[in-house]
Amino acid sequence: MPFSFIDIEEKKTRLLGLLFFFVILFYFLTAYLLLVIVRHSFFQRDGFAWPSGTATAAVLGVAFFVALLHWATSTSHLIEKLSLSIGAIELDERDVYHKGLQNIIDEVSVAIGGRRIQGMVIPSVSLNAFALEDFQGQAVIGVTEGLLTRLNRAQLEAVVGHEAGHIAGGDCLSTTVTCALAELYDEMFSRLKIGMQRSRGRGGVLVLVLFLIVFFMRFLSMLLRYFISRQKEYRADAVSVRLTRNPLSLAEALSLISTNWRGSGAAGERLESIFIINPNLSRLDEHQGLFSDVFSTHPPIGDRIRILTEMAHLDKKTLEDNLKKFRWVSPVAQAEFKEAQKEGPRSWSVFMDQEWRGPFGLEELSKIAGMAPEMWVRPEGAEKVIHAYEDKVLMPLFSPEAKNKASGKDLACPHCRTSLEELFYEGVPVLKCSHCEGVFAPGRKVSRLLIRRDKTFDEETIRLGQMTIRERDKRIDGLYRQKAANAWFLDCPQCGRKMRRQFFVYSYPVEIDRCVFCEGIWFDRQELEVLQYIYENKEQFFDDSSF
Amino acid sequence: MLAGILIALLALALLLLFWFFFAYNSLVRMKVRVDNAWSQIDVQLKRRHDLIPNLVESVKGYMAHEKDTLERVIKARTQAIDASSIKDKSQAENFLTETLRSLFAVVERYPDLKANQNVLSLQEELTSTENKISFARQYYNDETGRYNTLIQVVPTNMVAAAAGFTKRDFFEIGDQAQREAPQVKF
Repeated sequence: MPFSFIDIEEKKTRLLGLLFFFVILFYFLTAYLLLVIVRHSFFQRDGFAWPSGTATAAVLGVAFFVALLHWATSTSHLIEKLSLSIGAIELDERDVYHKGLQNIIDEVSVAIGGRRIQGMVIPSVSLNAFALEDFQGQAVIGVTEGLLTRLNRAQLEAVVGHEAGHIAGGDCLSTTVTCALAELYDEMFSRLKIGMQRSRGRGGVLVLVLFLIVFFMRFLSMLLRYFISRQKEYRADAVSVRLTRNPLSLAEALSLISTNWRGSGAAGERLESIFIINPNLSRLDEHQGLFSDVFSTHPPIGDRIRILTEMAHLDKKTLEDNLKKFRWVSPVAQAEFKEAQKEGPRSWSVFMDQEWRGPFGLEELSKIAGMAPEMWVRPEGAEKVIHAYEDKVLMPLFSPEAKNKASGKDLACPHCRTSLEELFYEGVPVLKCSHCEGVFAPGRKVSRLLIRRDKTFDEETIRLGQMTIRERDKRIDGLYRQKAANAWFLDCPQCGRKMRRQFFVYSYPVEIDRCVFCEGIWFDRQELEVLQYIYENKEQFFDDSSF
Repeated sequence: MLAGILIALLALALLLLFWFFFAYNSLVRMKVRVDNAWSQIDVQLKRRHDLIPNLVESVKGYMAHEKDTLERVIKARTQAIDASSIKDKSQAENFLTETLRSLFAVVERYPDLKANQNVLSLQEELTSTENKISFARQYYNDETGRYNTLIQVVPTNMVAAAAGFTKRDFFEIGDQAQREAPQVKF
């Protein structure tokens, strides 16, 4: 029995070997079956005979080769590929919430022996979390933006502990690889579907045959993931409790996740195995017994919560009562616009001519001859040594483009032409004009602003929001009739191109200016607050909450 | 016959020797792990020592009347840096944790400070570092416990005694309440 996480590391290789064997077996059986069918139906219509030894060996060889090819293509850039297909992005290191998440991940990684784990986030309101790991030992723990705004620190730590349990427990790598293997056919399938629609009959037969083959392989590879045991979730729960000594918070977190939208229908839902709770509602998951043991990826959620509450010596009712009373506390001091934290002058030590020199400030560094992006530097106060190109502040040293950007003027307000000030709003760094109080936010930050709920609304915003919804039809009509000159009015502060005046979406008819090139959005005074108010109270305005 | 016994004895001696090597190696491996775990704690402790001057600097202006609390924190920090043995260190660090806690309790009373993003992020950093310290301690104590057990159980204790492996101190926790599950505030 393995005693520590280090012993578990050594067991991983065996598990992967087994997985590779399964892939070979899978291709061999498929090819063998095809061979038997083809021979029987075309060449040996009378009487049945098994293929000869040579044929079998040839099939085995081909199967091995194909398996190797499949393995190699799927497992290169594992993390990049899978995080792309579930829509996870890297953390914004200036964002208050994201910084908190990375802190929690770092804390938990200390508890499993101090291995570096990268944080990621899925910009979605849903509640879920996942872990990925690749062959190089790079590990990722990601959560959805919704989870960050609904769970408190202790609960978040328990969830991260669960994911760290997958990574430390050794099942994360095999899960990631299995998902990547199945993902190949999923991707081929969706591409072929588009190809089919485009070809419109030209070369139709060939595409159809290909389509059928891929469809078949996709079906079979879906079976591959049942290779993953659902028991691993119980184990990861146990590891989380062992690390954080806090079963109650994990139970609360699981309960919150399971009673909210977990992200079914969003991108990457088929990679269910990597998530803490199955994004798709699956009736099978909630059952015990051999059949569901084999064909489900997650254990019954009620069971998991029951075990955890028993550990905390509580019953289910107390847990539910606690959750009803639960009020989420924001990690942001104030939702209002806050001045960005001023960073003191930073300095770096540089490894030059076989020795550490410095520390130097940015000014001094720019004067040193022979500074190169791949040189090793150590930011003052940090433990880790990094390449110079990894530090964004150092980029102006090497690229004239970045230099212009850094030394050039700040971005300007499209109305007043005064420079925009960087301020924190709900923990997100955004740009605000101090004169006209307009706000500019790059596209990916807007989703964060909508999901987060630190802001409380004043009466005027509420009145404007209700009016906006009441006059929706009139507004839509008005926007259709506006002159083209008015529609393309402002210049984008970021890329300088014209912005389009339009509704955020038709369900939330708040007029904003959107840059069609960089997806940045300019909110005039109060537009952002009104949009937030409508979004956060959408149940009140729309009977159908699917908006 | 005699040759047979001789060979058997020789084989036994060889087996014993191999076992000795094996036990010795696993002891060394455990010891390295414990050392590594200790260095993890050290890194985090140092990080905390580095953060404290910043915190004191940024709250000083607001808290003219709380000089005592600030001085206690600074004193505790110096003591913690000077401590050398594991026992002294754990005592000094526990004291530092206590003084920091009283400082944060005071911060709660100043609305200006609570709304200061700089103080808030320093507080988050310190909380995070403190959690890391307790996690690192947990990891260190787990590894030390395993190592100490291995040294004391028969038959490895003979190898340990012969090769001079000695028991390690645990990183003790000040008050018992501190390690109980953090209570969630509703």
